[in-house]
Amino acid sequence: MTDQRAAPDVDKALVARILLSGDRRAFELLVRRHQGMVRAQLRRLAKGDDARADDLAQEVFLLAWRKLHQFRGEARFATWLYRIAYSCFLQAQRKQPAVVATIEAEDPPTPTTPPETIELKVDIERAMRRLSDAERVVLVHTVQLGLSHEEAAYVLAMPLGTVKSHARRGKDRLRGLLAEWQLPSQQDKRP
Amino acid sequence: MKEPTEEAIEALLREEFVGPVPDGGFTDSVMARVPTSRARSSWPTLAGVGAGTAACWASLWSAPFTQTGWRDLASGYPTVAAVVLLSAMTGMAILAMAWSVAEADVEFR
Repeated sequence: MTDQRAAPDVDKALVARILLSGDRRAFELLVRRHQGMVRAQLRRLAKGDDARADDLAQEVFLLAWRKLHQFRGEARFATWLYRIAYSCFLQAQRKQPAVVATIEAEDPPTPTTPPETIELKVDIERAMRRLSDAERVVLVHTVQLGLSHEEAAYVLAMPLGTVKSHARRGKDRLRGLLAEWQLPSQQDKRP
Repeated sequence: MKEPTEEAIEALLREEFVGPVPDGGFTDSVMARVPTSRARSSWPTLAGVGAGTAACWASLWSAPFTQTGWRDLASGYPTVAAVVLLSAMTGMAILAMAWSVAEADVEFR
């Protein structure tokens, strides 16, 4: 298993190899290392339109190949890719607004999943869709992708204070929308 | 310090997130589209632009219409030749500006 603390150094070393000698094999390694999370990010942003998200992800990596000399190593490589991905998503969104897929079509419940888990998942998904775009996008990046507020501000090109207030407001609204699931008591059940 | 409900919301969101997408041939399809050489050299473009400008200038400079237009333009007489020359220069400048704007690329730092 890859040591998470060493990951940024590995990325930087791979970037250096590409810049120095145009090593395609090093770039392939970078794509393999990061495609999963970049595609996950874009799938969340595309609200279930996975094919569109994957097309965008391809564009993101092609753009990363062209723009690699602009990566200065101040942010993590993953964060830099998220920034490109978010920018590509916004550009695509301006050209062709996404068609929101239905929750049922995107994630059919399996017979082995307990019914209350399915209901909760569907309710969370619905609640997320009732947030404003900014609140949803901030929560996706800070909570689901695990970025710090500073990193999210860099990715989303938003002031840090705005990111924090969207995160706070988004969580408050989710708390209201999911009130019937008795969130604090769920917390108590956790080990 | 986070409130228990805030932590519960975060835990729910994390649970709902399916995590990284399996590769499933994605990397191979990206690599098939990646150009073989990373950076294109810019000198052929610059040399082409320079040569084109020089050839255009040389052929126009010897034409009497251009010389008349240039002279009238310099002395401030709005003759037909001066107006045509001025319009041509303005048109080329607008075209160059539009091309630069269209080709302008976002920087990712």
